[in-house]
Amino acid sequence: MMSKTVYVCCGTGCLANNSMEVYKELKRLIEKYEVDAEVKTTVKATGCNGLCEKGPLVKIQPDDICYRKVKAKDAEEIVTKTLLNGEIIDRLLIFDITKGKKVTSHRDTDFYKSQKKIALRNIGEIDPANIDDYIERGGYEALRKMLSQMAPEEVISEIEKSGLRGRGGGGFPTGRKWRQCDSIDSYPKYIICNGDEGDPGAFMDRSIMEGDPNTVIEGMTICAYSIKSNNGFIYIRDEYSLALKNMDAAIRQAKERGFLGKNIMGSGFDFDIQIVRGGGAFVCGESTALMQSIEGNVGEPRAKYIHSVEKGLWGQPTVLNNVETWANVPEIIFKGSEWFNSIGTDTSKGTKVFSLVGKVKNTGLVEIPMGTTLRELVFKIGGGIIGNKKFKAVQSGGPSGGCIPESLLDLPVDFDTLKKAGSMMGSGGIIVMDERTCMVDVARYYLDFLSEESCGKCVACREGIKRMLEILTDICSGKGTVEDLVLLEDLCHTVGEASLCGLGKTAPNPVLTTLKYFRDEYLAHINEKRCPAGVCPIKEVRA
Amino acid sequence: MKITIDGIVCEAQKGEMLLQIARRNNIFIPTLCHSDALPGLGSCRLCMAEVMDRGRRSVVASCIYPVKGEIEVFTHSDKIKSIRRNLLMLLYARAPEDETINKLRKEYGVPDNIRFSGDIEEHCILCGLCVKACEELGSSAISTINRGVTKKVATPYDEPSSQCIGCGACAYVCPTNAIKIEENDGERTIWNKTFQLVRCERCGKPFATREQLEYSNKKLGTDCGEALCEVCKKAVVGEKLKDIYERTT
Amino acid sequence: MFEKYPKEQRYTLSILQDLQKEYNYIPKEKLIELSEHLGIPLSKLYSMATFYKALSLTPKGKNIIKVCDGTACHIRSSRSLLDEIQNTLGIKPGETTKDGKFSLETVNCLGSCAIAPVMVINDKYYGKLTSSMVREILKEYGGADDE
Repeated sequence: MMSKTVYVCCGTGCLANNSMEVYKELKRLIEKYEVDAEVKTTVKATGCNGLCEKGPLVKIQPDDICYRKVKAKDAEEIVTKTLLNGEIIDRLLIFDITKGKKVTSHRDTDFYKSQKKIALRNIGEIDPANIDDYIERGGYEALRKMLSQMAPEEVISEIEKSGLRGRGGGGFPTGRKWRQCDSIDSYPKYIICNGDEGDPGAFMDRSIMEGDPNTVIEGMTICAYSIKSNNGFIYIRDEYSLALKNMDAAIRQAKERGFLGKNIMGSGFDFDIQIVRGGGAFVCGESTALMQSIEGNVGEPRAKYIHSVEKGLWGQPTVLNNVETWANVPEIIFKGSEWFNSIGTDTSKGTKVFSLVGKVKNTGLVEIPMGTTLRELVFKIGGGIIGNKKFKAVQSGGPSGGCIPESLLDLPVDFDTLKKAGSMMGSGGIIVMDERTCMVDVARYYLDFLSEESCGKCVACREGIKRMLEILTDICSGKGTVEDLVLLEDLCHTVGEASLCGLGKTAPNPVLTTLKYFRDEYLAHINEKRCPAGVCPIKEVRA
Repeated sequence: MKITIDGIVCEAQKGEMLLQIARRNNIFIPTLCHSDALPGLGSCRLCMAEVMDRGRRSVVASCIYPVKGEIEVFTHSDKIKSIRRNLLMLLYARAPEDETINKLRKEYGVPDNIRFSGDIEEHCILCGLCVKACEELGSSAISTINRGVTKKVATPYDEPSSQCIGCGACAYVCPTNAIKIEENDGERTIWNKTFQLVRCERCGKPFATREQLEYSNKKLGTDCGEALCEVCKKAVVGEKLKDIYERTT
Repeated sequence: MFEKYPKEQRYTLSILQDLQKEYNYIPKEKLIELSEHLGIPLSKLYSMATFYKALSLTPKGKNIIKVCDGTACHIRSSRSLLDEIQNTLGIKPGETTKDGKFSLETVNCLGSCAIAPVMVINDKYYGKLTSSMVREILKEYGGADDE
């Protein structure tokens, strides 16, 4: 009999649903029964599977059986029936809404079928606390290949040719960034991983750091070799305790194995990574503010007229990429730029990880080729709207992004198309809204968020957001006027043009897109003193 | 290297700030957070200008924009004027009674009846010049506190700071006179701390705090001898020069 | 406790976070001590302590309750969780109970949107919450009964 492996998802989502208890119970029972049956079984705690909403998830390989919403009391049955007798427990199977039936493997669900995993290739398949699991699946092979066969210059060319663009939001070509940094003759140079994920509704970076920390380390090390840097930093959001823990363990193990530290794999190349815990400030997701924070200052951004690749951390050339970008790098080096380049659209290559949340049936992490339409994302992968309500909008890009209406759902998702629609890719949070979501309230929500999170340095952002919020709060409570809309739009342009950093420059996007696509809702609040979605507390004002 | 600002050809050094080049060529760009003695802060945003660089048009803050190539600059385009008008409206909303702000507001045609209201006691526009000046002079007694819309400038715990030497540099650089500095009976009060003023040894006018003199003595590494106010110091220097002149001729 | 780190400015935030963890807030004397230790002006440390949300200048409760107010939680009524906690413990976000047992905070998206609405007590996550579940959980921490 083939040996089986049981994977218990121990991502934050599943942990909240007591997956640790399930893990412990399965482990105990397997030890207990192993004597009787000749089944070699191991239980592994894994990172996030993506389908967090149905957690805790338990997978059994190689049978490819996936159980959802498993409780500790189900463990006995799983061990005795499924592991020992190959029997499937119907009650625990995933029900695929779009198919209207239960499926044995999570791979059979539409949620997984349309996906293509590069950045998430190991998530949920390995124990993140064990570097051997990563190595077993080809981990650090890219590093080995590079150190034995490639010159630093070739590495940069390979990334350039792949067409990889930064996954943190802006979509700047990664290879070009490395090339620019490499061309500056000033040392030391630094490598930074931005893990200060803060967009509401985005959690792909957390899942990667929790579920596959080694891929980030490998990606950073590859870049370090190509631009001749010996020091790297991973800035992790303070609230991400599991990510901090797993990343810390991974760095330690990588050093023990010689993938990190002095004389990496005998090549003579040194590279070390330190973790910096974030202080709890959304603006630190902005690269220049993040660098200020690492240096031990208040996280106020600076103007980017001189790029960080030239003068970044401590005034030295610095390459900063976000977690998901780093996770793509080892695969590109290992499989080659041509392979990566064949996926995606003309201008956006590869895949993008999204966290699909809000009022959709299937919520969780998904990774899809660039160019997939929003409609596919929401209705096929997401399974449509909960409770058969009417779809209203998708919000992408967090407070920097915008709301996209039904009429634009057939747009292919890539950096440039979303930008043209007035939104942006952002870090990849996709929040689905239905007819019960008020779009004016959504715009107000984001400005409220930003008014607290703006660093407060420049007038445009600090005072502009404050006053825009004032107008929106008035409209939401039925006190807005038509003139307010004119002023609001005017302020949007000023804040967008005159703000110092990305936070302020993109702050108007949620307002501008809702004004563009859902103006009637604003007008209903103003002219009829009515909130069409029934969200805003407008009635009291009328009475 | 040559750049064009509002149609005027200007000589520029690579890396020089745009605002500096404009001022040298008598092209007026309004600023609040700028001081020639301090590095640019880029916080008031009034100095925004449009830059045309290799066919790409962008809006930049001229006080912190280093000129790298032969660009064309527009400091009073319609877009810039509209941005400035809105920024001044926002500043006016914050500090409605401030003289400096009101003067600029009128220049840019912002009406006095705007939609927003603010605290009539407020004069601070959080430009950060005071904090920078204090830091550059070596005291760092004040800093910005909090963030976002609740940001303010203060001493730690709003208490008299042991670092403050009462030099008043913060009040001196403040574009809106927001920092209160009171002087009477030979005492100066600033940031909740009261200092004894030292009298000028020549004219007897109280002119500086003891801490301030001690600090500059320490910084210069010598005792500067007589404690003299600026006017008397100039007079003494003048006399000495006269002396030398008369002796050598 | 400062000795754990080299005497460099870059470790300021880490030390401040350690202080926060140790005392549940950053005591004034410690901030002054740190200023002398690192040779960094007190005003600068004070500025940081008020800028970063993970740091606090007033004592926090023994148990820190964080209610997520990310977009997904927001549209799945995280408000009602806050109301429940306010009713049970009598504190608003940013406040601490008189007995020092609980502090209530709202936090930005915790990235657990799939199990919204979410609340975290100390380091433990609770997902898909309802008001009555919140009441039960608070009881576990000795919250609801002795009021």
